[in-house]
Amino acid sequence: MGDFYQTGVITTLHSLGKPSLERLETELRQFSSVRPVALVLPALYSEFEGPAMPKIVEELAKVKYLKEIVLVLDKASEKEFRKAKEFMSPITCDVKIVHNDGKRIGEIYDTLTRNGLDVGQRGKGRSAWLAYGYVIGRGQSDVIALHDCDIVTYSREMLARLCYPIVNPNLDYVFCKGFYSRVTDRLHGRVTRLMMTPLVRSVQQLIGPHRFLLFLDSFRYPLAGEFCMITDMARVNRIPWDWGLEVGSLAEVYRNYSPRRVCQVDIAMTYEHKHQALSAEDPDKGLMKMTIDICKSIFRTLASEGTTFSDGFFKSLAVTYLRNAEDTITKYEADAAINGLVFDRHEEAKAVEAFTRGIGMAAQAFMENPMGTPLIPNWSRVTSAIPGILDMLKKAVDEDNK
Amino acid sequence: MDDFLQLILEPMKEVFSKFKEFTPNILAAMTILLVGILVARIMKAVLLRFLRAIKFDSWSDRMGLTVVMRKGDLWAKPSIAVGSIVFWLLLIVSLLTGLSALKIHAIDNLVALFFLYLPRAFSAVLILVFGYIIAGFIGRAVLIRAVNSGYHYAKLLAEAVRLLLTVLILAMALEQLRVAPGIVVAAFSIIFGGIVLALAVSFGVGGIDAARRMIEKKEEERGEDKKDIEHI
Amino acid sequence: MGSITLRKEVQEQLERIKTADILIGIPSYNNARTIGHVVRAVHAGIAKYFPDKKAVLVNSDGGSIDGTIELVNRTAIEDFQSILLHHRIEPFFKISTPYIGIPGKGSAFRSIFEIAAALDVKACAVVDSDLRSITPEWVELLVKPVIENGFDYVAPLYHRHKYDGTITNSIVYPLTRALYGKSVRQPIGGDFGFSGSLAKFYLTKDVWNTDIARYGIDIWMTTEAIANNFKIAQSFLGAKIHDPKDPGSDLSAMLAQVTGSAFGLMEAYRDAWKQVKGSEAVPTFGFQYMVGLEHVKVDVNRMLTLFREGVKGLREIWLSVLGAGDLGEVEALANRPDREFRFPLQLWTRIVYDYALAYHKRRLPLEHLLKSLTPLYLGKTASFVMEVEDMGQEEAEEEIEKLCREFEQNKEHLINNWT
Repeated sequence: MGDFYQTGVITTLHSLGKPSLERLETELRQFSSVRPVALVLPALYSEFEGPAMPKIVEELAKVKYLKEIVLVLDKASEKEFRKAKEFMSPITCDVKIVHNDGKRIGEIYDTLTRNGLDVGQRGKGRSAWLAYGYVIGRGQSDVIALHDCDIVTYSREMLARLCYPIVNPNLDYVFCKGFYSRVTDRLHGRVTRLMMTPLVRSVQQLIGPHRFLLFLDSFRYPLAGEFCMITDMARVNRIPWDWGLEVGSLAEVYRNYSPRRVCQVDIAMTYEHKHQALSAEDPDKGLMKMTIDICKSIFRTLASEGTTFSDGFFKSLAVTYLRNAEDTITKYEADAAINGLVFDRHEEAKAVEAFTRGIGMAAQAFMENPMGTPLIPNWSRVTSAIPGILDMLKKAVDEDNK
Repeated sequence: MDDFLQLILEPMKEVFSKFKEFTPNILAAMTILLVGILVARIMKAVLLRFLRAIKFDSWSDRMGLTVVMRKGDLWAKPSIAVGSIVFWLLLIVSLLTGLSALKIHAIDNLVALFFLYLPRAFSAVLILVFGYIIAGFIGRAVLIRAVNSGYHYAKLLAEAVRLLLTVLILAMALEQLRVAPGIVVAAFSIIFGGIVLALAVSFGVGGIDAARRMIEKKEEERGEDKKDIEHI
Repeated sequence: MGSITLRKEVQEQLERIKTADILIGIPSYNNARTIGHVVRAVHAGIAKYFPDKKAVLVNSDGGSIDGTIELVNRTAIEDFQSILLHHRIEPFFKISTPYIGIPGKGSAFRSIFEIAAALDVKACAVVDSDLRSITPEWVELLVKPVIENGFDYVAPLYHRHKYDGTITNSIVYPLTRALYGKSVRQPIGGDFGFSGSLAKFYLTKDVWNTDIARYGIDIWMTTEAIANNFKIAQSFLGAKIHDPKDPGSDLSAMLAQVTGSAFGLMEAYRDAWKQVKGSEAVPTFGFQYMVGLEHVKVDVNRMLTLFREGVKGLREIWLSVLGAGDLGEVEALANRPDREFRFPLQLWTRIVYDYALAYHKRRLPLEHLLKSLTPLYLGKTASFVMEVEDMGQEEAEEEIEKLCREFEQNKEHLINNWT
């Protein structure tokens, strides 16, 4: 349990008192008849063989307020696709699996590419984006929820709390992000704790208060992969296809909607998903790439709002960040101590070093090419260029699922 | 004894000589076929390159041709589909030409019939294609007109018109192909007439009140000095 | 090109007249009932306000069979005294001629332009032949800004009932203003003043065999003048009262013609309007006074019914033009009860721009596309009528101003999607 403090410029929805799942789900069932909900699940086939998926399917089979589930399956052969379909069969609502490696979806990607629409490389961003297109094309759902498929401690309470602020027509929210504490016997979430938050605060120190940074800093877990939004947003937002996905999505939300209509919700007591190896040297792997992509995303958003960057700025940033990060380590040391958690100061420091290097690399990449990773064009733009694309996508997915 | 041998050898000699006669024809046919396959392959490759250069696929995506293909669950690239069609056409032509090289009278007749039939098939395809476009055009025109006049069953009317035109087009295409013409005419008359009758009856029965009200309203309106806003 | 379209007898007249300072053109078609008054007003106006200028009246007729041409030739001012004329009057010439070309106001204008060019006039004006509210002052108001203040194009400014001219108020005015940056309130007014050089410029354009000549000439003239950076002004003329248009005339066809002309012109001038941001006021002449206007009946229920029928029947067409998001908003709107029916300004703006884009991309046969706008337009009109029901003229005008600002702010949507 936590507090009831409202952080920053968005609304924070806490877990207060004894919230009842029964009541939540009953209300959701009522509301979803007017505002149908689609659940998007970006997944790798390997996750079907992991420990999380069976629990997720079991829980989803008990969920009665979803209009449709769209699972985007990456890295799967035809046989594995069939197996995945089989795996999802206990779920009663309409489940469609998008076979990313299949012939039909491959043709869809080809069609986009040959018309000059760059949808980026394979990854969660591209998968989610494609799923949005399918949901938009079907035109049946007003709300889209999204979460990962590697959540070992999944419970349908999490999904209910995530959807509620958007589905409830009496609350006027268009975007809701989940937050949670990633704690087992130790603190996890290094990138958020030690990179993201100190970085955002350092940039604010250097350039002064900036509305986007305030917005970003309002999120208790900005890199959470669980969120819920209105379908209209999926039409209008352009999302990055690299690891800057979460930050880039928040940037788009910031750009297109008022912070009053954005909220975050406490979705779990414990939360556990796969850990990325901290590959301190290889910039293309794991957390290093994540760091670089996230930083580039932040720099790009700030630049598009008019902030100018220089070499001097980045030098100062490195120093400021290091100071802030070291302070943060000290804070968390105390936090771990009082809660009896394992805390390895050396590991934390190593992580900070790696992040510092990552920020430096990101700065370099950004200065060389500020336009950087292009964003996936939004669906409005795509349908304008290729009028029948949504019909084609619908047909592809429906045929694959026959 | 000699006569007996002669009896056995005679027919064999005949077969052998017939075979000798026939062999060049078969060889010619096979050569034609092989050359035909080669030509078809080359044409397909050239056509594909050309289509790629003019960005045919992209054009097809934007024009909506690709969507039509996808709706028919055809997932090849549009250029490849066109290439394949051309390839198979050329292949069939070379096959038929090869067959005619066999100089077998019955086959010759069939081949001639086939080539005679081609123009009919072609015009039937044209009728279908243009008919489809025209039916869509007219159907849409009727829909918009009816909606703008405030007619409550505008969509139904437009669909009925489109259906009628489609039936007409199909009948015309079938007639071109000379596929059981008598039956086609009869079936068409029955369907077409049936639809028209159904429309008339439903309008008559359902529309009596509406018609009466419309007439009464028109009388009223002529009486009143109706000044509406000036839109322009 | 020049004199091909003029008849021999006209050319003879032109040779006699040689040159003139002012030309007033009146296009006509079976307007014998009203044209007499118009001619007298024009004659009096010239005599009163431009007594020292050489003036020509040109009636360009579309083949009237009710004696319009003869009537024009016969009309003279019976009693000069009553129109307060004291000066010596310069010769006033009348040319009444059927025009050559495809039927429509455009061809009539072409003849007028050609005569203007042939006579090398300095200022011209054109007025409708069915005007009942025209006074001699109109001549001064349309011609003086050209002759004395060097303007090239003078648009009319009328005092109309708040419910009248909804096509102008909800489409043509906001669109033209946002596109080309000039607040010309009545771009398709029908009565204009323009300079001789502008007339010559019009003649250089080859539009005389297109739809523009049939029914798009007004918007074309205005757009050409603005887009080619001629000096624009507008003059307040008072009320515009003309013969009621045939009530059987098809609103759908009218709407399609007007919007089609406006959208068509966007193609030619895309470089011009893409650069323009915001808009500026246009110098206004004439003393603006309140005019007592007849009460106008509006059948809002019928408009709403037609709008809702449109939502049912034209859904697929609207989906391909507007996209699912805006269509969803339109459908939600249709479900609102009548009393709460309010067409959001931003939605209407996007609809008009989406139609312009669809016109540009030729997504549908153009006539079908434009006619499918009718139910949406009626919905907007019904909403406007209900919104301004209890408002005075000025407040209603402020609503239109809001719409114009909305058009200007959303112009990016148009520019970004125009490929």
